[in-house]
Amino acid sequence: MSTFSGLGTALSSLIAQRQALEVTGQNIANANTVGYTRQRAALSSLPAAQLPSMFSTTNGPGYGTAVTDIARLNDVFLDAQVRTTTASSSYLGARAAASKLLETNIGEPAATGLATQLTDLWAAFQDVANTPNKESSRAVLLETAAAVGDRIATLYTAAGTQWTQARTQTASLVEKANTAAANIADLNKRILAVENSGSSANELKDQRDLLVTELSGLVGATTRTQENGQIDVLVGGNMMVDGSKARSLAVTGAAGFSDATGGADVQVVWAADTSRSAGLEGGQVAGLLSVLAPPAAGGTGGMLTEAAASYDKLATQLATQVNALHGQALTTAGAPGGDFFAFEAGRPAALGLTVAFDDPALVAVAAPGAGALDGSFADKIGQLGAAVDGPDAAWSAFVVQLGVSTGSAVSRATAAEATRASAAAQQVAQTSVDTDEETVNMLAYQRAYEGAARVMSAIDEMLDTLINRTGIVGR
Amino acid sequence: MINRVTHQSVQRSTLANLQLNLSTMADLQAKMSSGKKINVPSDDPAGASDMLRLRGEQRVQNQYKRNADDGNAWLTTIDSALQTSSTTLRRVRDLVVQSGSGAMNTPAREAIAVEIEGLRDELLQQANTTYLGRTVFAGTSDAGVAFTVDSTTTPPTYSFTGAGSATVERRVADATTIRVDADGAKIYGDGAQSVFALLDTIAATLRTPGGDATAQLNTLDSRFETVLTELAAVGARQTRVINAQTNLAESAQTTKTQLSAIEDIDLAEIILQLGMQEVAYQGALGAAAKVLQPSLMDYLR
Repeated sequence: MSTFSGLGTALSSLIAQRQALEVTGQNIANANTVGYTRQRAALSSLPAAQLPSMFSTTNGPGYGTAVTDIARLNDVFLDAQVRTTTASSSYLGARAAASKLLETNIGEPAATGLATQLTDLWAAFQDVANTPNKESSRAVLLETAAAVGDRIATLYTAAGTQWTQARTQTASLVEKANTAAANIADLNKRILAVENSGSSANELKDQRDLLVTELSGLVGATTRTQENGQIDVLVGGNMMVDGSKARSLAVTGAAGFSDATGGADVQVVWAADTSRSAGLEGGQVAGLLSVLAPPAAGGTGGMLTEAAASYDKLATQLATQVNALHGQALTTAGAPGGDFFAFEAGRPAALGLTVAFDDPALVAVAAPGAGALDGSFADKIGQLGAAVDGPDAAWSAFVVQLGVSTGSAVSRATAAEATRASAAAQQVAQTSVDTDEETVNMLAYQRAYEGAARVMSAIDEMLDTLINRTGIVGR
Repeated sequence: MINRVTHQSVQRSTLANLQLNLSTMADLQAKMSSGKKINVPSDDPAGASDMLRLRGEQRVQNQYKRNADDGNAWLTTIDSALQTSSTTLRRVRDLVVQSGSGAMNTPAREAIAVEIEGLRDELLQQANTTYLGRTVFAGTSDAGVAFTVDSTTTPPTYSFTGAGSATVERRVADATTIRVDADGAKIYGDGAQSVFALLDTIAATLRTPGGDATAQLNTLDSRFETVLTELAAVGARQTRVINAQTNLAESAQTTKTQLSAIEDIDLAEIILQLGMQEVAYQGALGAAAKVLQPSLMDYLR
């Protein structure tokens, strides 16, 4: 223990407290930075130099203090929980949003929906049954029928537009995921380099965690930490980020709505080997893929293609049932009625549904042998609206089914979002900066700094006594 | 797990709660301003299905009402035509009976014959009565008249244009149709058997010196009877139409009430909820202002 070692001890404290104060300053500066994880200077006392030799003796207290580490106070379990819940919340959220949009697009149960237009059509048939001799009621019937066809086509087109938008969104989200993965790989590289040089890479880790959470929300990523501090990101069980290397995803498969309704699906594959599916299990992209899926047996396919299939079925059902009756009837001129509704060749039934003729005189409502102005077949067609297997019943069943599935999708998404929010709240509670706490720390470090300075001046005075006032007796 | 609480976590949870309060309030206000409980099917799928069904029923009832009104007009037209026909036939009978008295001389019989011919034309006109361009006694015919007259022959030939057993029906309920025309061939007879041919025969008999027209009285009476029977039948059918109209008006009211119960909001309830929500929101705002204000900085020198 040398005479001056006390100065060194005080100096070590001055340096350490100043560094700790700087960390506090960094915390306060980032109190509102998104993704910032609070840090703490880890101080540890320096032991006295002990040489394990034969005549070594203890030479007093330790040599002061030092900042051994700037700790990043995160909790890996909370981080993992946030990622998992984000993945499932984004998956369900994407499905719920698509379902809600589809539900809004069908325009029921408003007074202007398809259900109303169908009842208008049946009423128009009844009017023709009442007055088969009036061309005006026949003309109204043709217009009403054309309006029903237009409406079904509009519904189909809306589903197609929504599909195309979801497809475009999928492609851009996959692009975003690729960028995030590349950035994570780059950060991995930089973090390793910084830590190898002995510095703190806490801020880079904050950025990396933010990106991993974003990636989880997009494609449902999970992570694995390597021994050197780099993290691997796994998507569907395969590595998307392997240390400082990143792999890209790509979107293949159905490019248009007609491909999807024809049974082709949209796939997310590995860009390096497009025959291998990424097998996404969570995240917004997986949710969109399930929305984009082709129709499947039992109505379990993608909601948009299933809706389109329902529209096709409805159009076919409407045309078949009306045509079956119309074909048996006679026009006023006594000619057989033929088809009332026709389909444009080469288009989906819902898009191609039109009235087969524009001449009101060709509407056939008379029963054979019952007189030219008989309207009994118009009445029969008008009764289709109340038939249990009629188009109205089919449409109502579709609307209710969509309502139920949307309701359940929204409530599942809400529950998942609540879980995510609570996980995120716990993470924020763990990592965010508390200004009160930092103020207290600031106070403590400041006081410690003052104390160390006081120790230094005390030693200085002691040395002053020793050097300047010793041996001057009688001078 | 007991959470660490920081200014940021308090701020976030306060914000989340305020957001929740505000969105509940927006929801209530949307209901209040639209006046509807169900705006999309997922609001209440079962209710939405009922709404679709009731709206459909409303439209159908509306159409049935139109059908019934139209049927009523047809039957009223037939009724008045038949009333006039029965009066005409009664006048014919009177004339025939009058002609039977031995005091009639040839000019007088001629005068009766002319009047009977006039009455025949009247009757023919009544048989050809139309409603909105449709002959009510040959409902599904498009000939424009129920009976055509071929005057080139002597006596003229009358033929009914109606098609067999085809009737004109109006649907007034899901399972009920009511016949709104009348069978002209049955009432007035067809061809040589028709009441017009009968009147021609009577006129011819009257012009024949010594002819006895009263021999036709039985046939005339049976025609008269037929008209009266049909008149009663038409009256009965009209009663059914009127009953159907009453029923439709009642069920329209019921449907409206049911629909309103499903889709319309309970105003008092919503206003109360909105009031409570406003209090909650204001409370949350006040709490936020209190919680976020203090900091340790305020208490340190």
